[in-house]
Amino acid sequence: MDYETYEPLATWLEATWLGEQMRNIFWLFPMMETIHFIGLTFLFGSLLVIDVRVLGYGRFINMNAALKFIPVAIIAFAVNLLTGIAFLCANPFRYFPNIAFQWKMGLIVIAGLNALWFWFGEHKELQALADGEDAEFRAKVIAFISIAIWIAVIVFGRMIPYVEY
Amino acid sequence: MGFLIWLEESPLGIFIRESLWGYPIVLSSHAVGMATVMGVVIALNLRVLGYAKNISILAFDKLFIIGWVGFLINLVSGLILFCNTPTTYFFQGSFQLKIGSIVVGGILMKVVMNGVRSGAGEGLTKLYSAACIACWFVAMITGRLMAYL
Repeated sequence: MDYETYEPLATWLEATWLGEQMRNIFWLFPMMETIHFIGLTFLFGSLLVIDVRVLGYGRFINMNAALKFIPVAIIAFAVNLLTGIAFLCANPFRYFPNIAFQWKMGLIVIAGLNALWFWFGEHKELQALADGEDAEFRAKVIAFISIAIWIAVIVFGRMIPYVEY
Repeated sequence: MGFLIWLEESPLGIFIRESLWGYPIVLSSHAVGMATVMGVVIALNLRVLGYAKNISILAFDKLFIIGWVGFLINLVSGLILFCNTPTTYFFQGSFQLKIGSIVVGGILMKVVMNGVRSGAGEGLTKLYSAACIACWFVAMITGRLMAYL
């Protein structure tokens, strides 16, 4: 990304109260990281329950009960969005030009679109699924994409400190 | 101590310290394995604590296997990462606490599953379940702190 493109936003984020606190309180950044990790496990665990059911590997998991993990996933995502914004405010000029960060953000957008496809395209049909019954192929594709993308998001997130120039 | 020094000077130790991509790749695997094993532990314990009650715990056995896969990924990647500086890690309080809470958290997970299968007292099983989540949280917190202390 061009410096000119992100410079105004980065300058503003860096000057925010949140950014200042993140830089000045020494334990705040590690604490946010830990919360980000905990959020990540809640998010990934919830997706595993849903996707494992839809893919058919855990087809005796009750579908409606599995779908109850959607709110857990959404809350976990919100926690990670907020903690993620805190990291960004702490040092925006470090994150914006970072290639791993850019890939991570792009993949999260795709994961979001995939989730919308799941919600508007498959959610109703899936609810009618009996225990042990196979989901449609389309739903399985969405579930597979979901797992694959979130694994990639974790990998790119972990790579952020290692691809700085 | 002799063993730790030997490990640090082993080809694996040298590889993980000196190769450009070795460390980040193994560390990323450790993060994916963590999400898997802890994700399963959390989902399973949420169910035991009463969330999403319509899932039969036995149907969750399939998920449990995935949790074991995540655990193995992290055992292997963790051992490789340990070879980086074993002489430091071994004596680090946060590392010792991390390993301790993983052992206790793992045993508690087994106790919870046994309790559920045998239909033992629900209150007690839930108590173990809450303690199990707490242990895995401590493991994660201390694991993160290893980078700072």
